[in-house]
Amino acid sequence: MGTTASQLRKDLLSEYQELTFLTKQEIILAHKRFSELLSKEDRNIPTPRVPMEKVLSLPELKSNPFRKRICHVFSTSDMKDGSLTFEDFLDLLSAFSDSATLEIKSHYAFRIFDFDDDGTLDGGDLEKLVNCLTGETDDTRLTTEEMRQLISNILEESDIDKDGTVNLSEFQHVISRSPDFVSSFKIVL
Amino acid sequence: MSHYNNTGGYNNTAYHDSDTLEIDRSPSRKSQSQSHHSNPHGNPYPRDDGAAGERGRSDLLQLPGGVQSSYDDAQERVPWGGWQEGSWRGRDSIPMGLLPPRSESPRWQQHDLNHSGYQIDQATHYDTMPPVRLPSATSGHVSMRFRGSRKMSLFPVGEAALGNLGLSEDDIRNEMENEEHNLVQELVAMSTRDRIKAIRDLPMSFDDKKHIRGQVLALKSFKKSRQLNCFSDCSTTVSLAFRRCGANMTLARQTLELWRGTMKEVEGKFGTGVLSYFKFLKWLLMFNIFSFLVNFGFITIPQLIYHPTPDIPAGVSFRGLEILTGAGYFSHTVMYYGGYSNKTQGTGGWPEYNMQLAYFFTIAAYMVLCGAALIYSMASSFRKKYVLADSGLGGAWQLLCSWDFSVTNEKAVRQRKNNLRIQLKESLSEKVQVALLPLTERLKHYGVFLGTWLLSTGMALGCGASVYFLCQYDTSRTRKSADKASGSLLEEAATLLLPFVVSLINLVVPLFYSLFKKIEHYSNPRMQVYAIIVRNVILKMSILAILCYYWMKDVANTFSCWESIVGQALYRLVIMDFLFVMLGSFFGEFLSNVIGTKCIQSLGVPEFDVARNVLDLIYAQTLAWIGIYFSPLLPVIQIIKFFILFYLKKVSLTQNCQPPRRAGRAAQMQTIFIAILFFPSFVGALSMVAYTVWTLPPSDKCGPFRGLNTTFSAIQIWMDDLNGVDAFQWTVWIYQHVIRSEIFYFLVSLIILVFIYIFRQITQGRQLLIILLRQQIVNEGKDKAFLLEKLQTLQKSKQNKQKKKKQVRKRQENESSTGMQQALIARQRLEQENGDSSSSFGVPMPSGHSVSTTSSAMMQAMLARQYAEDQDVASYRGVPFPADQTPASSSALIQAMQARQRAESQNEDEFYRAPVQSQNPVNALPSAMIQVMQARQRAESEQEEDEFYRAPIHSEHPVSSTSSAMIQVMQARQRAEEEESECYRAPASSQHPDASGTGSALIQAMLARQQVEEEYGDRY
Repeated sequence: MGTTASQLRKDLLSEYQELTFLTKQEIILAHKRFSELLSKEDRNIPTPRVPMEKVLSLPELKSNPFRKRICHVFSTSDMKDGSLTFEDFLDLLSAFSDSATLEIKSHYAFRIFDFDDDGTLDGGDLEKLVNCLTGETDDTRLTTEEMRQLISNILEESDIDKDGTVNLSEFQHVISRSPDFVSSFKIVL
Repeated sequence: MSHYNNTGGYNNTAYHDSDTLEIDRSPSRKSQSQSHHSNPHGNPYPRDDGAAGERGRSDLLQLPGGVQSSYDDAQERVPWGGWQEGSWRGRDSIPMGLLPPRSESPRWQQHDLNHSGYQIDQATHYDTMPPVRLPSATSGHVSMRFRGSRKMSLFPVGEAALGNLGLSEDDIRNEMENEEHNLVQELVAMSTRDRIKAIRDLPMSFDDKKHIRGQVLALKSFKKSRQLNCFSDCSTTVSLAFRRCGANMTLARQTLELWRGTMKEVEGKFGTGVLSYFKFLKWLLMFNIFSFLVNFGFITIPQLIYHPTPDIPAGVSFRGLEILTGAGYFSHTVMYYGGYSNKTQGTGGWPEYNMQLAYFFTIAAYMVLCGAALIYSMASSFRKKYVLADSGLGGAWQLLCSWDFSVTNEKAVRQRKNNLRIQLKESLSEKVQVALLPLTERLKHYGVFLGTWLLSTGMALGCGASVYFLCQYDTSRTRKSADKASGSLLEEAATLLLPFVVSLINLVVPLFYSLFKKIEHYSNPRMQVYAIIVRNVILKMSILAILCYYWMKDVANTFSCWESIVGQALYRLVIMDFLFVMLGSFFGEFLSNVIGTKCIQSLGVPEFDVARNVLDLIYAQTLAWIGIYFSPLLPVIQIIKFFILFYLKKVSLTQNCQPPRRAGRAAQMQTIFIAILFFPSFVGALSMVAYTVWTLPPSDKCGPFRGLNTTFSAIQIWMDDLNGVDAFQWTVWIYQHVIRSEIFYFLVSLIILVFIYIFRQITQGRQLLIILLRQQIVNEGKDKAFLLEKLQTLQKSKQNKQKKKKQVRKRQENESSTGMQQALIARQRLEQENGDSSSSFGVPMPSGHSVSTTSSAMMQAMLARQYAEDQDVASYRGVPFPADQTPASSSALIQAMQARQRAESQNEDEFYRAPVQSQNPVNALPSAMIQVMQARQRAESEQEEDEFYRAPIHSEHPVSSTSSAMIQVMQARQRAEEEESECYRAPASSQHPDASGTGSALIQAMLARQQVEEEYGDRY
């Protein structure tokens, strides 16, 4: 079944190659993995969507604390349900690939961290971010006081224009001082 | 500005859009943009004051951006501003509805806001704008998309500060088309390669990129179809072929990539920090494969072709121990320097091949290439990855960019979260107790530092010294055994003593060093890592330096074929090092794992010490570099060693270790490792080899350079040969004037120094610039905050006025009435001065007796009233009105009049005065008087010209003032009565004839009344 499903038209393949940071092999692999996620009846639809739950069952995403955010950010679904088409999936892999530029990576990272989608990382976003990073159960969560202190530390450090939130350029500034980001913001199939 | 958001009631999205416009919200955009647009801005019209205030604020914020924004923004700003005004006016729709639209109505807004440069010139938008502007979902997303694209790569213009502030659908569509058009234009202008890159770099979703690409290609093909020629066709084909080729290369590289799966597994469990060790290992492996290929291809293969079998003396056979010692059987093979001949090969049909030159140039080329590769990777690593340690850098990067998305193992993720939490808590508590330690504590710390550094350096030196003495012993022993010429196994095994001791030192002393961290207290964990690295490097390098010294000083003068002896020694060191690394990972990792899990639980599972392991690799590589001259095939051993080491470490890691607790700065560490690999390691090896080649006499009996004074004289001989050949004169010239001339090196180093100085100056200038730019960002942030504050207060005052409209109205009413009363009192006083105390109210007839004072009284009254009105004006304008109450001259009067007119021209004024009149139909005479005054006021305001010449009349012709005053009173009164109601008119008019003394006054009164009636007729 993998052989029939992973047939990609040649022109499509070259287009994908041109528009993403992925190589031919990676695209074919991605297509194979994607078609494995599709259910039987979905295969005949021209642009099938994989629901978020199935995407999250991929081992590469399964234990990622930001998995839902990743799906939401890359999903083009009208329903806002985080479901992905193949092209969305490629987009995701492209942004997380080794060869993606720092700008692309930081842009998507910012959107992943921007939990309320308002275009800026405010206190609420940072709190959610910290909770995602440290674990969300009650015993692993930081105390309110610690959280407050932490967030104020972060803002003090990264909020250059002192407006109480971290916007994209400030975020990129922080990231530019952390060269590990490029290598750690990576998901490879 | 969080306080600010609170007052706004929700996040001020519009504000941040000025900076974060570039955010592409496309993926969840359809639904999201809908919600977004409809949320604060979509339906602005009937909003309460909070939202209006919000909008107003965001509105002002656009101004700084607007100044520098691009031309298309400017185009959009105009209708948008008009719309904005509409929303404001919508807020005032209650009073506005009661009044007929007046042409000068926006004037008050200008008064309010033109200090901020806010220009409204299209009041008509109020009427033309539909009440609800909901940008459709699609247009919203498209505009976002292009806005995003613009900043990211292509458009150098200043960022538009438009935001999604509820632009009309048309505006957004226009903007979108504009931007798309610009984008496509720019892309079309690019070369194919750049275009593909540019499109790929756009932070958009796949669909959008596809769309853009389609458009670009369409436009491109359209253009091309018009100017199709052979050349462009050819170039396209060629570039296409090149691109295909490039893509295939990448593909091939990826397919051939070694250990891809293993790397992914390691990364998934241990993160990028540990992975960097394996990457480093792989990189070194590549170096060695390259050096093996070079050496084998250019030195060994020719040697093997001409002398397929090594000339091994009789009685020497392969015994197995050679694998460890490298001596015996191996010492006569091509493994070592001694195995190569010095002859120019190629007699009898074979092409000529000068082994001397081949040997020399291969080694030299390899060293140069290695150096170039190292410098290149070091420089690029410094540029990309090394960030100067920011002292203030604490939690932010940990949170914002430390998460390793590549970690996929469930357990590892949990552990990572745990570590991160502990780290965060630690850093928080550290921040709390940031207070300086007492002096004694600090002294103690310094003492400990001094002690540990002295101890470690002393140990390194001691190790070096002991190695040197061991070497001396080794020499004497070898000499003895050489005399006896017996090659027993025990003798051969004895040669392993020196490498064994060296490797033991390399294994044990670093472990000892790592104990230091128990007593040292570095404020920064990174400092601790650096300290350990520096100590280890000092140790390893001092040992190697001692060994090199020994080889060049003692061995070179003692043994007949000393290069091979050195090669053997290096071989043994490499092999021993390998064994000890294996032992180290067994004892260091496996045993401590067993102890940590079984015996002493508190120790826990060991961490993989990246720094120590990388330093081991660097040490091994240094040995290989030194050995490249003495043992050209040493890279083979190195390759095998690294290959095995990779799997060994991988197994040891996955079985015994846990991920590192601290999310260290792996990239930075990697840069440092490359730097260490370059500076002491490669440079040391290079200088060692160069010294050997340039100054040491090669051995007489063996090797390619036998019989020469130095290795380098091979070149001299070659040049002498070439001197006779005309075709190679240039080579000789280069040799004599470049290679051998001091002037050349002197000039080159001088130029390099100059360049270094210039670049240093440039760097410093840039640093200054960075500081300035940073300051500028901060200042801009402050400006923003200031403007927000200003706008907020402005908005608040407006809110107050609206919310408390009735209260304000009453207050103003009171003020005006007190003003009136003041006026009345002033007048009264004057009248009383005249002696007519009886005519206190209503009847101004007796004032006719006064000749000069009446007019002044009038003036005073007017002034007083104006003052009252000014107060009104000032009270709602929020700024002190410049007019004051002191002047008594006619010019003052005029001024006051003008002020009043201005005040009256404001619709607010009118609108609250009207209710006053309707609300207070008081019959009492004082109130009637007030009304008279008010009415006259209005009359005056409506006949501005009249007033202007009437006022001078008052002052210049005091004689006639009686009748004119009378007339005025009459007019005013009549008008006031009319305003009140019809029923009051009759008594009022009947009263007046009694009071009037002159017929002309009566007539004038009648005329005035008619006039007033006409006016009112016009109005209604």
